[in-house]
Amino acid sequence: MEFLVSLLIGILVAASVYCILRRSIIKFVIGIAFLSQAVNLLVFTTGGISQAAPPIIQADQTTIIGEHADPLPQALVLTAIVIGFGLLVFTLALAQRATQAAGTDDLEAFRNTEQ
Amino acid sequence: MLIPLSILLSLFSAALASPLVKRCSNWAPYILAAVPAGLFLAYAFLVGDISFANTLQYQQPWVPGLNVAFDFQVDGLSLLFLLMITGIGAFILIYAGGYLSKDVKTRTRFYTYMFLFMVGMIGLVSADNLVLLFIFWELTSISSYLLIGFDNENKESRKKALQALLVTGTGGVALLAGFILLGNTAGSYRLSEIIAQGEALATHPLGTAALILILLGAFTKSAQFPFHFWLPNAMAAPTPVSAYLHSATMVKAGIFLLFKLSPVFASHPIWTASLIGCGAITLLLGTISGIFQRDLKRILAFTTMAVLGLLTMLIGIGGELALKSALLFMLGHALYKATLFMTAGNIDHGTGTRDARILGGLRTLMPYTAVAAGLAALSKGGFPPLAGFLGKEYVYKTSSTIDVAAPYITVIALIGNALLLALAFKAGIHPYWSKAVSTVEGKSYSKFLPHKPHEANAAMLAGPLILAIGGLVFGLLPQSVTASLIQPALSAATNTSTEITLSLWHGFSLPLILSITTLIAGITIYWCRETFWKREAFAQEIAQRDTENIYEFIFTQFVRKSKEVTRTIQNGSLRSYLWTIILAAGALVGFKIISLGAIPYSINLESLHLFHYVLIVGLVIAVGFAAFASSLLKALAGLGLLGYGVAIIFATNGAPDLAITQIIVETLAVGLLLFAALRLPAFRKLSSNRNRILDTILASSCGLVAFYMALKASAIELSPTISNQFVEWSYVLAKGKNVVNVTLVDFRALDTFGEIAVIGIAAIGVCICLPVTNLRYLPSAGLSKSIIFSTGARILLPLCIALSVISLYRGHNEPGGGFIGGLICAAGFTLYAFARGTVEALRRLRFTPIQWIAGGLLIALASACFGPIVGKPFMTGLWLPGFELPILGTVHLGTPLLFDVGVYAVVVGFAAQVTFSFLDSSINATSSAPKQDPCSKLTQTATACK
Amino acid sequence: MNTSLLAIPILLPIAGAAIGLLLPRNSRTQSIAGIATFAGTLVAALWILWSISQVGFLKLELGSWQAPFGISLVADKLAAAMVAISSLVGLAISIYALGDLSQELRKRWFYPLSLFLVAAVNGAFLSADLFNLYVWFEIMLISSFGLMLLGGGKNQFEGGFKYVAINLVASALFLAGLGLLYGKIGTLNMADIALKLSVSPGGPMINSSAVFFLVAFAIKAGMFPFFFWLPASYHTPPISVSALFAGLLTKVGVYALIRSNTLIFTQEADFLRGVLVALSLATMFTGVLGAAAQFDIKRILSFHIISQIGYMTLGLAVFTELAIAAAIFYTLHHIIVKTNLFLIAGIVSKKTGTDDLSAIGGLYKAAPWLALLFFIPAFSLGGIPPLSGFWAKFALVKESLDQSFYWATAIALIVGIMTLFSMTKIWAEAFWKKSPGLFKISKLTQRETWTLYGPVAAFSAITLIIGLNAQPLFEFSSEAAAQLLSPNQYIEFALPAEYVTSIRLQSVQEIALNATVTP
Repeated sequence: MEFLVSLLIGILVAASVYCILRRSIIKFVIGIAFLSQAVNLLVFTTGGISQAAPPIIQADQTTIIGEHADPLPQALVLTAIVIGFGLLVFTLALAQRATQAAGTDDLEAFRNTEQ
Repeated sequence: MLIPLSILLSLFSAALASPLVKRCSNWAPYILAAVPAGLFLAYAFLVGDISFANTLQYQQPWVPGLNVAFDFQVDGLSLLFLLMITGIGAFILIYAGGYLSKDVKTRTRFYTYMFLFMVGMIGLVSADNLVLLFIFWELTSISSYLLIGFDNENKESRKKALQALLVTGTGGVALLAGFILLGNTAGSYRLSEIIAQGEALATHPLGTAALILILLGAFTKSAQFPFHFWLPNAMAAPTPVSAYLHSATMVKAGIFLLFKLSPVFASHPIWTASLIGCGAITLLLGTISGIFQRDLKRILAFTTMAVLGLLTMLIGIGGELALKSALLFMLGHALYKATLFMTAGNIDHGTGTRDARILGGLRTLMPYTAVAAGLAALSKGGFPPLAGFLGKEYVYKTSSTIDVAAPYITVIALIGNALLLALAFKAGIHPYWSKAVSTVEGKSYSKFLPHKPHEANAAMLAGPLILAIGGLVFGLLPQSVTASLIQPALSAATNTSTEITLSLWHGFSLPLILSITTLIAGITIYWCRETFWKREAFAQEIAQRDTENIYEFIFTQFVRKSKEVTRTIQNGSLRSYLWTIILAAGALVGFKIISLGAIPYSINLESLHLFHYVLIVGLVIAVGFAAFASSLLKALAGLGLLGYGVAIIFATNGAPDLAITQIIVETLAVGLLLFAALRLPAFRKLSSNRNRILDTILASSCGLVAFYMALKASAIELSPTISNQFVEWSYVLAKGKNVVNVTLVDFRALDTFGEIAVIGIAAIGVCICLPVTNLRYLPSAGLSKSIIFSTGARILLPLCIALSVISLYRGHNEPGGGFIGGLICAAGFTLYAFARGTVEALRRLRFTPIQWIAGGLLIALASACFGPIVGKPFMTGLWLPGFELPILGTVHLGTPLLFDVGVYAVVVGFAAQVTFSFLDSSINATSSAPKQDPCSKLTQTATACK
Repeated sequence: MNTSLLAIPILLPIAGAAIGLLLPRNSRTQSIAGIATFAGTLVAALWILWSISQVGFLKLELGSWQAPFGISLVADKLAAAMVAISSLVGLAISIYALGDLSQELRKRWFYPLSLFLVAAVNGAFLSADLFNLYVWFEIMLISSFGLMLLGGGKNQFEGGFKYVAINLVASALFLAGLGLLYGKIGTLNMADIALKLSVSPGGPMINSSAVFFLVAFAIKAGMFPFFFWLPASYHTPPISVSALFAGLLTKVGVYALIRSNTLIFTQEADFLRGVLVALSLATMFTGVLGAAAQFDIKRILSFHIISQIGYMTLGLAVFTELAIAAAIFYTLHHIIVKTNLFLIAGIVSKKTGTDDLSAIGGLYKAAPWLALLFFIPAFSLGGIPPLSGFWAKFALVKESLDQSFYWATAIALIVGIMTLFSMTKIWAEAFWKKSPGLFKISKLTQRETWTLYGPVAAFSAITLIIGLNAQPLFEFSSEAAAQLLSPNQYIEFALPAEYVTSIRLQSVQEIALNATVTP
């Protein structure tokens, strides 16, 4: 599975790099979405993934019996997903407002602060 | 003790100057002048005690970590300089009292700066620690900067001040580097210890580097070729400043350093060559360009330059005799040059012009000034029995006795001295004794002068007269007075105890003949001064070939290039920024990967089913779809598919919590993008094909790197994961069966706390980007308007809330938890808002979303604070004993649960805030005036772009 | 003492921010709450600093989960100093804002957001857990986004977007590096990572992920060629915000670079350090060029942030005790000086109504005290003795020469002159030059005078004091550097002793095992 997911990660990264280099602001936001997907998957896989049972202790047990997935990367990814989501939403709002302020969604036209 | 005392005293006066001058502006100068005068007397008493064997020392640690200390040592050399600094300083202050305008404000600053400079000078000549010396060195540069730019509203003086600062400052940093190298080679920053080691250091490999750097410092400070040009320009400063800094004291700081270090470097070929060479050039350049000048101050400035050159040359020659003559010459120069400057100032003050060419016959109008100037001029000209004569005699003595290149040196000295004499007469004799010019350029003399000439006041005469007479005294009493100063100085400079005898009369010898030749030559040159003045063009010629142009060139080029470079680097294009960053990062990572070499990895595809392949292929297609879609909606569809696919990956790899979260988040994200899309223009092709190709190349290589890194990371395992411990503890210690949730709310609660802070702040950020207007979202048409939908939403809301609370509660043991619960609840409110308008939804929400967020954060914090109450760290999980409830069974209440409630509240607030904001803004978009409507603007800019 | 104190500089500001969000939206209430919280934070921070100077290290295991399993906060001398100074800056700016910001901005979001920011900065300094560090970086980022847009000028959104864009990439790199590192080493506590790397033969294998961290932190620190976000945006928000950013944000990047390169990535680090030297020199040079090119006070100062960062990282790259001490000294001095310069720029533009040097002038006569207050930090930045900047530069130059980094020294010195040049540019144009009379220089109100000049005067005084009595701060920096250069000290303090010994034992056994197997 790592292999396939790594492949997906690679493709996601490629797609995100391509998108954030576009001039249209919304493409950039999509690129960022790709990027956070890619990174979350990366954190998830590098922890070593398996099709094992979720890390939940079975009823009337005090610890997990048998194969189980590593809970720590899951916790990290969950945090990362949420944070990424927060940032994405903000970026989206900013993109909307910046477009309005600059009067264009063409990032190449955003140069007033560096003249 | 005397040194730190005098430094503190001067600092104190610097601070005190301005209130004092404000209080009584008439007497302040004289009160202030008492400070250096007193110091002068104090040092005068040391004359005789200070000798090679016996020096005045003071030590006090400062920054031992960098072996910098307040180490002071007053030897003969320092004493000579101290006397010049304080003595002349006193007269200058008095003089300034009479000279400066009555504008109090400028005067207060003037005295402050003068005293700061005095501090710098006193410290510089008496410091025994290299770094300490450097610190005072820089202090003189800065105060000189402030004083040259004293007439700060005049563009020229600002320019000259900067020039002086940059030249001396650059020398300064070189000096610092040189000092550090010298200190490291010597193993000590104590100047006395370094000198004690003598010439051994010069042979050290780093010694040469140190020497060159130090020479840079000294030459820039003392205006040696090729750094001389700033000195004449520094005449932009008020006359008292020129008289003090740029003739008598500061410019001699470099000379002082050369004297001081000559025991160490005297034998070094570079030392000898560069000192003699640059000194000679400076001498000739100064005198020759001086001869064409008409401005009294410029004339004097060039002679100062010339004399500094002569002194450098003498120090370069080295040996007792040369150094002795250098010291004598310097002493004489200090006296007469200060005098001449002040008299020049008097003329400027009295007649309103400094143009030597139109001045004349002031003898009768300004008698005292005339006397002072005359005496000084004669001394400078080297007439017996004045101090200047003494100096010149010994110069010739030296030049005629050195072993190498004696004739050349002699000739140079001869030319230099002759011209100096001519210049001296121009500045000190001509304005007074030559016949007044009747007419200048048509206008009559009297008309030409701004106002009728008048003698200067007492304050402005005291200095010149006394100093001029001082020149006489030193000349008349060589042995009793002069020697007592020179001898200890000489022994310090040669680092050997010496006995010297000075006399005016050496009998008929080569030096005498040379002196006489000098007189004749000099006077002849003076006689045909008019011819030189007529050839001012020639002076221009020299100026145009001057090294100043190099400075100007570097300066302007620097500014121009900096603009160009900055424009290329910071060009305003986000794309190029990202390109640079990604390329740099990629290059570094790639290099590392290659240098680390291949890693062993075997692809095991046994465990994979067809399903997995289908999934991944589908996802790849979704990605491609989203990335290259022609319309936003298609792109969003792709994005959504991708999100759900990833959720499936999570679900099939034992991560239900992730799967659920991913699904909800993705839905919300796509929904919001959809709303935002209403405000954003349709996709259109902006980038050129070339760029697209380049970007594709970069993107795919980044993809490769990422792919490789991901494989590598999952292949290598250097040590087992720590999370087994979590599984062990989860139920036993943390009372939770869902290890992921326990990790979130207990083991790594701080992360989760940070995470909710992030989304809370993000909500605020959204508020800032999409401020609430009076236009709020209301369902207008279509699905959202339909009755079924709105009633459905009304029924769904309580269901969602109930569901969310359940998942919140059970989250600790099964998939779910505060975050998922919060999202479910928010989803209900979002639907409700969509169906019945945001205002209505807000009403049902009871509190504003921001309040939900704040409250949630505080609840989470409160749960964290139970720990410290019972003496445990923050966020320690504390549990009530479990108790039975009808439906729920055994209930465990504890701080982690409370914490999760906080998470829940924040998530509700966040989700509600952002969805409502986007709903409202979407309304603004569709129904706002075309002026704010971006789309209409876009059409214009789009056309503009093409 | 109770180590729970360690969490106060993080939790208190967040609590203050949350309360501020609940309090009624009127500028008075919000300001009082904000300033009070900052004051409390500073007190706690100083207390921590004091106890650190007694005991050297402090640790707090949150949730009483013993390291490396839970998240723990660890303060060494560097961290404590950084926390103290950032809290100080926070307080100063919260006061300055009274005179600088409009009622509207103080009502809405300035105080909560700046509190969040300072909390995050403190968290980044104190956290001993790599992922937790990432979380603090994100909080810092998102709150800085909010602040960056405060007031909502057109330029703010344009510049802000670039700021956001590049920083999002940086966070992604950071997180990616984290994932890669965790995948290999299976732990997150920095001390634990360092320990396991130190004992595992495959230590260098993580160098490729180390590059991710290097780049991510370099972007945060504003190093060449990653600094583009800074000049694009720093001059757009209200000056209180710019000053806060100028003082703190890039320094967190520097701190992270120092921490990661002294504690974690210490094996076969020549490559990283080589890269660091090159980047540092390029950074200081391009930064100062940018400053020379500008004619707008805020932009000049923004570029100088970059240029100065180069000096700090050079100190790290030289990697001797004295060099790192110099870097730390430099960082602390620079936070004070740079914040102060921005605050002064704010006063200037308040008085004259512009930041454009060609339109300003005559302040030397009109505001002599301001001239003095500017002169001190400006020439301190220029490295003029005996001001604080001189000692920072001197220590750095001395050590680089001793370690025979001759080229680095030469460039550092030349850049020093260029820095002095652009400082004199501001001095000559804004203060010395006659006012071009485009704007009449306005008088400040009583309230403005106190709130604006108060912090400025305090900072200038600190600069002067550090300059005249550099020994205490330098000594402290050296001690901090000494701690950093003996990572085992940190490891053995941050982790339980038996755990450390067990890990080391295991590795010994493994090595023994391999030794027996290989032949």
